[in-house]
Amino acid sequence: MEAPPVAVMPVTGGSIHMMEYLLQGSVLDQALESLLHRLRGLCDNMEPESFVDHEMVFLLKGQQGSPFILRARHSLDRPAAPWHLRYLGQPEVGDKSRHALVRNCVDVSASHSLHDFLLEMGFRMDHEFVAKGHIFRKGALKVVVFKLFRILLPGNTENTEPLSLSNLVELSVLAPAGQDTVSDDMRNFAEQLKPLVHLDKIDPKRLM
Amino acid sequence: MCLTLCVCVCEIVIVFRARSVSQVPVAEGKSVQQTVEMLNRKLEQLGAVKQGNFCVDCETYHAGAIGSPGQPPKFLYVMHNSEAPLSCFALFENGPCLVADPNFDVLMIKLKSYFQNAKSNKVESRGARYQYCDFLVKVGTATIASSARGITVEVEYCPCVTANDCWNLLMEFMQSFLPSHVPGVPSVFGVKTDGVYSPSDTMAQYLELFSKLRKQQAATGSGMR
Repeated sequence: MEAPPVAVMPVTGGSIHMMEYLLQGSVLDQALESLLHRLRGLCDNMEPESFVDHEMVFLLKGQQGSPFILRARHSLDRPAAPWHLRYLGQPEVGDKSRHALVRNCVDVSASHSLHDFLLEMGFRMDHEFVAKGHIFRKGALKVVVFKLFRILLPGNTENTEPLSLSNLVELSVLAPAGQDTVSDDMRNFAEQLKPLVHLDKIDPKRLM
Repeated sequence: MCLTLCVCVCEIVIVFRARSVSQVPVAEGKSVQQTVEMLNRKLEQLGAVKQGNFCVDCETYHAGAIGSPGQPPKFLYVMHNSEAPLSCFALFENGPCLVADPNFDVLMIKLKSYFQNAKSNKVESRGARYQYCDFLVKVGTATIASSARGITVEVEYCPCVTANDCWNLLMEFMQSFLPSHVPGVPSVFGVKTDGVYSPSDTMAQYLELFSKLRKQQAATGSGMR
């Protein structure tokens, strides 16, 4: 029973400034198989993983204008896996030539008491959904193809209906701030998925 | 999985559990540091082997900007334990406990306009870690803002995860080195439905002790020798 090293764990600059680089697109259900087939060829040689996740979006209203948003996600097909909490910042406004959407990202793995804990902190659930799909990897690039399902009765993840006839495709990379070559690699990868799917940077604010 | 019991031994007050606090005068001329050294020597005489150091810390966050007016302010405690270096524990007193990875500290920084860090309330317990057969004993000096406020003694019986099965054994072991004041059953043992112990129970016990120390500090208003 050796002592684990006693370390003062300072919050390093690297962890605060992890950024998510994101490109999004969508494909209709009819085109899904072709896309999955192409991704199996392009991505790392491993069994593509399928997943069924339940995500809840929580808001904390304070005295400031816009509420603080946190996303809590857990697996429905692997119930023993830890919950995943995610904070996403505002997209960085800047270099128009940058090919991907860039935003600050903080990921925390948490125990199964996360839902109750967030409520105790003062968060309230804004909406929830179920996501079913596949995840692929190519080096640091992550490609997720999934379908969103609306939950008909709050808290009941068995009773769902598809939100649309399409599947959302997301290409993302998590990297420390300042690594802009990442978006070039993403654009090159996205080129290989055309014309099956066109991946673009989509500013969420423009959709509101 | 280990079973842990925490006891707080102070110069003036020995604390058992939340409800029974008794005042015991300690021999004249003893400081916190001397009492800790005395306990360490007793453990070494028993045959315990020192295996490194440990540190448990607790930061207090004050939920200022949220909640309806008229409600009492909420305190969120974020704790770390060197025995679980890749974890971060977040608790509400008598409320849910969250076990997360160290990125939770980064998230608290993002939440700073909703939860303010009361830095002067940070409590830490640091000391030596002893192994004696199946027991792990950690004797630490508890400090608030760098001044020593008391002593924590954590006793862990490693093979057992069922809390109520080994309370008697823990008590017997503690009698062999603690000066005649063995505490009562910790309150966390009572509320367990399935009886399985977990690291968050250890943190809940430490939180209880640290809260007591903070209240004592507020009451006495002065430091201890």
